[in-house]
Amino acid sequence: MNDVITKEQIINHPVDKVWNAISKAEEISTWFIKADFEAKAGMPYTFTASEEQGCMTITGEVKEASPYTLVYTWIVENTNVETTVKWVLEAEGEGTKLFLEHSGIANFPGESAIKMFESFSGGWEQCVNQLKDYLAK
Amino acid sequence: MQKQIDKIFKAIADPTRREILHALVVASVALPITEISAQFDISRQGVTKHIKILEDADLVQIKKNGREQMIYPNPKSLKTVSDWLKFYENFWDDTLKGLVSYLDNKA
Repeated sequence: MNDVITKEQIINHPVDKVWNAISKAEEISTWFIKADFEAKAGMPYTFTASEEQGCMTITGEVKEASPYTLVYTWIVENTNVETTVKWVLEAEGEGTKLFLEHSGIANFPGESAIKMFESFSGGWEQCVNQLKDYLAK
Repeated sequence: MQKQIDKIFKAIADPTRREILHALVVASVALPITEISAQFDISRQGVTKHIKILEDADLVQIKKNGREQMIYPNPKSLKTVSDWLKFYENFWDDTLKGLVSYLDNKA
């Protein structure tokens, strides 16, 4: 057990295409979450999902953004706890090897945060389902 | 409850403590300190130190059985941690699935 979550995935798309999908506000807003985002170090950003969806707002600051590494802090609304999300892409043949790391989750203190998380979790499921519907169209 | 989750994460930050805890959970019975000590090839004192930290995080309970100290895993406390991690595990799994579908459908 660890407080770092890591994901590794091979994606059958060229690295530039994947990079655009994770770093351009327009594309992030299409597949992930409504994003006011600029992939430039030092830039604050906001990810918002609609109230009806029961989703939360996530804010943070871009720490690093140079192809193909993207790092931003991840602060969930109503908490002051900073976690960090890191995306690293590597070209592999004609595809892309994607690494994702979310660290600092242990920084969340106490039980109130757990409760907050539980409600947050419900919201996310709705968001993700919405995305699946969107993509199925 | 003050910073309980901090204590939990600090307790499991150490690889030896993680292994001890894992052994207890896998065995899903109480183990005597002497057995843990033998299994991990560390001194009884060393094990006791680790166990105290795990106990402080409410991850294990220590009960005396005659002269032997028995260590019980406390899965309830572990659940707090696993729920936490599971949430973001699922969240990122779903997010990556979403990313792949998006890329697949994009002209």
